[in-house]
Amino acid sequence: MTTPALNLSNIELHYGFVRALDSVNFHVNPGEIVGLLGDNGAGKSTLLKVMSGAHRPTTGKIEVNGRELHFHTPKDASDAGIQMVYQDLSLVEAQDIATNLQLGREQLRPFPFNLFGIVDHGAMQRSSAAQLDRLGVRTAPMTRPVEMLSGGQRQVIAISRAAVRVMEGNKTGHNGIILLDEPTAALGYEQTRLVEGLILKMAQEGIAIVLVTHNLPLCFKVADRIVVLNRGRKVADVRKNDTDNDSVVGWITGAKAAEVTA
Amino acid sequence: MTIADPSPQSTRLPFNIAALVFVRERGIIVLWVLLLIFFAIYDHPYFASVSNFLLILNAASLTAVFAAGVGIGAISGTLDLSVAGVAAFSSVVAGKLIILGYPVWLALIAGMSVGILAGFVNGLITRRGLNPLVVTIGTLSMLSGLAAVVADGYTIPGLSKLTFMGTARYFGIPAHVYIVTVVYLIGTIFLTKTRDGIRLVAVGGNPEAVRRVGINSARYQLLGFVLCGACSALGGLMTAALVTEASPQANPGSIFEALTAVALSGVSLGGGRGSLPKVFVGAAILATISNGLTIAGVPPYWATVTTGVLLISALVIDRTLTRTISERLVVMSGHISHPKKP
Ligand SMILES: Nc1ncnc2c1ncn2[C@@H]1O[C@H](COP(=O)(O)OP(=O)(O)OP(=O)(O)O)[C@@H](O)[C@H]1O
Ligand SMILES: [Mg+2]
Repeated sequence: MTTPALNLSNIELHYGFVRALDSVNFHVNPGEIVGLLGDNGAGKSTLLKVMSGAHRPTTGKIEVNGRELHFHTPKDASDAGIQMVYQDLSLVEAQDIATNLQLGREQLRPFPFNLFGIVDHGAMQRSSAAQLDRLGVRTAPMTRPVEMLSGGQRQVIAISRAAVRVMEGNKTGHNGIILLDEPTAALGYEQTRLVEGLILKMAQEGIAIVLVTHNLPLCFKVADRIVVLNRGRKVADVRKNDTDNDSVVGWITGAKAAEVTA
Repeated sequence: MTIADPSPQSTRLPFNIAALVFVRERGIIVLWVLLLIFFAIYDHPYFASVSNFLLILNAASLTAVFAAGVGIGAISGTLDLSVAGVAAFSSVVAGKLIILGYPVWLALIAGMSVGILAGFVNGLITRRGLNPLVVTIGTLSMLSGLAAVVADGYTIPGLSKLTFMGTARYFGIPAHVYIVTVVYLIGTIFLTKTRDGIRLVAVGGNPEAVRRVGINSARYQLLGFVLCGACSALGGLMTAALVTEASPQANPGSIFEALTAVALSGVSLGGGRGSLPKVFVGAAILATISNGLTIAGVPPYWATVTTGVLLISALVIDRTLTRTISERLVVMSGHISHPKKP
């Protein structure tokens, strides 16, 4: 059996008196896409925030690639090769694709310009293009401001940045983990297809992917395994091929009894 | 597998959108050139000369330095209204030191330092989540009060030691023009070519996005205030050098002119957008209008009226263009969403 890229056991999380997560066990393997489903308020975002280090669970264990870790901040999680992509507010609209992709790791010109922090725009554009190429993403020229991109293109850029970061910051011995919180919520059909293609491509690269979504067709198309939360409890954990739309809807609404097979 | 947009349009903007973008990005420069041509004809032969052009640049310089501060602040996502107070306070501090017999360089460094410090304090207070407008209005009145304390309530006269950066000319070009050139050169390189500058702009546009990639956004917001404080102090010292006296009275006109130049240049007061050279053009437009109308014998208050009209039209045009551009882009991505399948 493979070591999961990310393994959570017995996670509990309370917001005051609200028990948002109730002894949840969850894992995702390298190269696997897990669809995380549930009704509004089921605890999906909360679970993602535990994985990304934004929230600390009240109790429970987090293991990355078999090693137990304690996340105090999102930076701890990102150092461990975990990147969260938020639905919105992740790109700087007025700046171009290259600047957004390299934000926080800008390349400098060689000596003596580096002393003054002078960046190498050309190098940044070239590596951005190369990174997107590797992910098979072709959107627009690297110098195009993000605000001139469509919603789907923007989401693809935001996700690609996360992918590049987990692939390159790879001192962790695994291929990285990407957490996506409703990445297609605001997108039309064709735009969703862009994001869908990228998710599959990242999984091919060996990245473990957790996909929170309300879009069941998308989930059935890309996910290998489906996990359903209901009021903070895991009520289903099944391989996609072993289930169907009606069962999943049953778990989401609470009409169907819990089933953990995977 | 390639995740490519099915539309070839996505790699190049259609001509009409590119044209609109050009007007939005370069319109201010076109406007300045048109004004220069208009006055050259209207005020013939008094307007179109090298010496009058230098006069315009010189007149624009002070506003431009204040506007650089306000502009960098606005680009980084804050609006600093304490400019006039900082200017008064630093000029009085420097003036007092000169009168007390300290060397000029020391007085200037002290003047600049208090400005930087003021920016730092503004930034630290604002970090607590307070509205920058209110905070900087507070520091504005605090600093002009403190300036009066330092100067015992009177203007400090006799600062002739400062004329080298005031009325002096070198190779026929006024000192202020050199100063403003250096400020804008360094400022532009900083904002467009350096890591910290690019991050400063990014923080102005979307602090949350910058935080999420692991950068300390708050540090860059503070930097915006500090740079604004430095420009304000420099403007104060230049003012003192020009009139060879340091007044503790904060001059509210400086902040209004600076804001006008900044808004005219298309710097978004919401942050994240704008270019310093265009801020300079904004200041130059104000100076050009005032110069051109004065030569024509039009009473000076008409210059104020014209400036106001220009400012409001510039904002309306900018808004209209931005809306049209994004509408066209949406239509375009509509094509992307429904490509013809071969
Ligand atoms: N910061 C918070 N403080 C208190 N309660 C919270 C907080 N965040 C979430 N909750 C509660 O925790 C529960 C789980 O919320 P969560 O956001 O994880 O749901 P979700 O599955 O992501 O829902 P949605 O589909 O609407 O995004 C809800 O009852 C919610 O009201
Ligand atoms: Mg949610």
